[in-house]
Amino acid sequence: MTRNTGPGAKREARAGFVFASPWLIGFCIFLAYPLLASIYFSFCDYSVLKPPVYVGLDNYKELMGDELFWKTLSNTFSYAAIALPLGMLTSLILAMLLNTKVKGMPLFRTLFFIPSLVPQVSLACLWLWVFNGEHGVLNTLLLKFGIEGPNWLGNPAWSKPALVVMAVWGGGNAMLIYLASLQDVPTSLLEAADLDGASGWQKTLNVTLPMISPVMLFNLVMGIIGSLQVFTVPYIMFPNGTPERSTYFYTSYLFDNAFRFHKMGYASAMGWIMFLMILALTYGSLRLSSKHVHYQGG
Amino acid sequence: MRNVSRLNYFAIFANTLDESQKRLHSAPVDRGAFTLPALGAIVLATVFASESLTRPEPKHERVHVTYWEKWTNFEFDAMKHVVDEFNKSQDKIQVDLVSMSQIENKTLMAISGRIPPDLAGLYGQNVSQYADENAVMPLDEMCAEAGIKKESYIPVFWNINVVHGHIYSLPTTPASTALHYNRKMFRDAGLDPDKPPQTIEEFDDDIQKLTKMDAKGHIQQAGFIPSEPGWWNWCWGAFFGGKMMDDKGRLTLNSPENIKGFEWIQSFSKKFGADNIQSFKTGMGNFDSPQNGFMSELVASELQGVWMYNFVTKYNPKMDWAVAPFPHPKDRPDLANGTVVDLDVICIPTGAKHPKEAFEFLKYLQSQKGMEMLCLGQKKLSPLLQVSPDFYSKHPNKFIKLFTELAKSKNTLYPPKMGIWAQYNDEISAAYDSISLMHKTPKQALDDVVAHMQPALDSYNERLRLRGIK
Amino acid sequence: MTQSQSATARRLFVIAAIFAASILFAIVFSKTRIAIALIDIVWLAIEFSSLSPKVQKVLVIATLIALSVAFAFPFAWLLDTAIKPNAETMKNPPVWIPSEFQFGNFWKAITHGQDAIGYPPFLIYFANTVVLCSLIVSGVVASNAVVAYSFARLKWPGRDIIFSLTLATMMVPFPVLMVPTFALFRNLDWIGTYRPLWVPAWFGSAFSIFLLRQFFSTIPFELSEAAKLDGASEWRIFRDVIIPLSKPALAVVALFAFMGAWNDFLGPLIYILDQKNFTLSLGLQAYQSQNGGTEWNLLMAASSIVIAPVIIMFFFTQRLFIQGIAVTGMK
Repeated sequence: MTRNTGPGAKREARAGFVFASPWLIGFCIFLAYPLLASIYFSFCDYSVLKPPVYVGLDNYKELMGDELFWKTLSNTFSYAAIALPLGMLTSLILAMLLNTKVKGMPLFRTLFFIPSLVPQVSLACLWLWVFNGEHGVLNTLLLKFGIEGPNWLGNPAWSKPALVVMAVWGGGNAMLIYLASLQDVPTSLLEAADLDGASGWQKTLNVTLPMISPVMLFNLVMGIIGSLQVFTVPYIMFPNGTPERSTYFYTSYLFDNAFRFHKMGYASAMGWIMFLMILALTYGSLRLSSKHVHYQGG
Repeated sequence: MRNVSRLNYFAIFANTLDESQKRLHSAPVDRGAFTLPALGAIVLATVFASESLTRPEPKHERVHVTYWEKWTNFEFDAMKHVVDEFNKSQDKIQVDLVSMSQIENKTLMAISGRIPPDLAGLYGQNVSQYADENAVMPLDEMCAEAGIKKESYIPVFWNINVVHGHIYSLPTTPASTALHYNRKMFRDAGLDPDKPPQTIEEFDDDIQKLTKMDAKGHIQQAGFIPSEPGWWNWCWGAFFGGKMMDDKGRLTLNSPENIKGFEWIQSFSKKFGADNIQSFKTGMGNFDSPQNGFMSELVASELQGVWMYNFVTKYNPKMDWAVAPFPHPKDRPDLANGTVVDLDVICIPTGAKHPKEAFEFLKYLQSQKGMEMLCLGQKKLSPLLQVSPDFYSKHPNKFIKLFTELAKSKNTLYPPKMGIWAQYNDEISAAYDSISLMHKTPKQALDDVVAHMQPALDSYNERLRLRGIK
Repeated sequence: MTQSQSATARRLFVIAAIFAASILFAIVFSKTRIAIALIDIVWLAIEFSSLSPKVQKVLVIATLIALSVAFAFPFAWLLDTAIKPNAETMKNPPVWIPSEFQFGNFWKAITHGQDAIGYPPFLIYFANTVVLCSLIVSGVVASNAVVAYSFARLKWPGRDIIFSLTLATMMVPFPVLMVPTFALFRNLDWIGTYRPLWVPAWFGSAFSIFLLRQFFSTIPFELSEAAKLDGASEWRIFRDVIIPLSKPALAVVALFAFMGAWNDFLGPLIYILDQKNFTLSLGLQAYQSQNGGTEWNLLMAASSIVIAPVIIMFFFTQRLFIQGIAVTGMK
């Protein structure tokens, strides 16, 4: 279609700015300013009670030597490295199951989605009981199958897997997005594959997965951002990241630095390092996926 | 495939096209013109509601003093009683007592947000951090004027409030700790309940006799579990004569005495198995519950404070129990009567609107009458040296004199005064985990803490200098 | 074709390897039952497509039921705990069927702690949360619709650059903004009010702008052109053409915003100080006293009251919701 030029375009541009103005203002105040301020603070000693004092690279230097910084970083990455792929796989499989034509589907969908609706605080309290090593529900069940469950919450080796189970359980958002995209896969393509005599597996691998690959990428990026920021559940369930700091995550340490120890500058430096890592990871996954992700025209 | 769904939408749009055309031209009933202002009005009303929810209520006549306190339940009620009495005693000042969870963080945020309460009931170990940040007011002048002086207090309960030579807070309720033990379990194990262990060595023998394990190694009953409930992970070295920090500000957590203390901690894991202790602990409930190990008579002895009486009365009033000073190492008789002390304090945050009126309440609270009203209500000891004759006779806890004597002993154990105690304590707790799980030797774990915390302390002091505080 | 076949084979090989490894693991640790179960799963997966459609359907339903039991289980435990006497909430072994069904726990949870503070805290938290949520949701819907309209359907200089910038901001983790926004709101003297929580919602958010923009661009431009010829202003087109056509997308944005706001913990944790201003998610934590003494049955009863509205809402709107996500082409 042809768009207007001349006075019409000018008027449209004016309207465009007016319509976009909430975001332009919001972007400047709530994103651009804090981001820039955060860079500045990260070079300062800042306790909020006193004006910031410039200290150069001190915060970053201190971070490099801070054992706890590395500990929380490795905790966070090892958590994300398990939780992310497992969560993506589970939610994809669930979405595929929910995409079949079976009676009572609304009920199943709700059941699978409930976990992501439960407030994180109750979720944390609930899981404390499920995972209790002595009389927790999970271990009692496992015992019925002849397995003696570990002391999930008291043993540093098992506390992170317990958190992973919780994350997988609460992955309803990703599941919904998969489901929506699965419903968007044109039946014509699947029928064509049927005519070619493709088996169910081949259809999934060669038609469905490529068709939803952009959504998988979307979920991957969102998952990276989300799992690296894990905070609320461990913060409530494991005070100070017990046992042995195995559940002390990056965001918890950042929060403690900012609001318990009042080292706002230090916390800002941590925030920026995290931002850079997420940017790099996102960029990396976009680059890697460009070969595999299949965008349809249109 | 996009095209397919696009086509569908075209069909829908084609239908709605007519409709929207109609709507554009049918001037008489313009739904949008009505809905939008209505929605706007609703939103405005909600904004108003949200604003009025957080707006402080208008205050008249009396000066209102806001007081945040961490306590709940009966401890809160005891302070409420004092506040009510104070409000009744005069007609110029009204103290509003508010219960606040996570008070040590919330108060700092409120101070930095410039909406501090006039009074804040913090924990004793917060005072240094608050003083370092200039977040609480020094009270020296007001105290001198009001005649509140060091000599009236049990020394340790005054000293906790003093940072860099200034007094920043005043005591509310103090506590000292001692070994609480179950007389019946002692008797059943063939021990004399009237002769509690004096030394660590005797205590170890008793624990051996009190602990029962099944064939698989599962603990059925424990003599003593050092990490139950695990509130003072730093204190074990101190019972062996260890200090956290020397006079020059060097951390001494890895001193031989401290290492000895934590070796004692690790000896439990060696004797009974780290995993067995872990799962035994997991089987017990939270502290304030009938499933508490001591209350459910699964653990024969515990290091606990003067408050333990309240919980025993609540959950297992029939239990036959007693209190004795915590044992000391045999070769260090000078360390007898060691006790971990805890103090709840009250202070006036910087930027408080009515510091003078707030101090009027403090004056009332620090009087013998006010203090005993509060401490009897909470069933604790008084921080004052002088107590009224009937304080002890009215006090329901029959061990209260022992706790008071312990607080006066020279071996009171208290965290060092440092602004980063919260961080240091977290580190010690993590080290405690590694030690009791046998992942590190005590020396290695404590060395690691010092190696990590000494630079942190140095840079903290450097930061204080930068902020112009030190 | 050969290339894609070898790719398929490779993928199958990876899956098989993972399963083989887990079976081996299970056997090594002498968990025979797990091993048998895993072998069965592998067998089913391989043979699945050669089964008759009827058997396939039965298998799907069976899997669905088994999985939904696993997913609903903790939730069922929550409800179960909510109606138990407190003494049975942490018994060893767990009590599955309470000796007494205490439905009064729900009412007790609502009035819990009333005597200490002088008001029923739960109702106060509930009212606070409703007020806050409605402000956030209305803000998110209103602001993002307007902004997305501009990005999707109006041409102005710099639009595309700003849009890509907008997308990039989705990568900014909240912790980075935590400190400076706290400082910002402190300078505005907003600490202890709800303003830090809802005002930003009225200025758009990248995720919702993106979602709505995708949807708005699928609406044929002919509609706007026709309206323009009739002399309609951009505002009228937006209000009378675009908005009525975008209800599913707006519903998705609203529902995401609602769920986020209803469950938000970190925001209120930082900005709300006074207990009487707590939201539900903060208030629930207050049920849990620091040294225990928690009445678990009441905490769980309160939790189920908190979740109920969201679950009911989702059950009835899920179709619209999923459609909404699909048509916004979130990709």
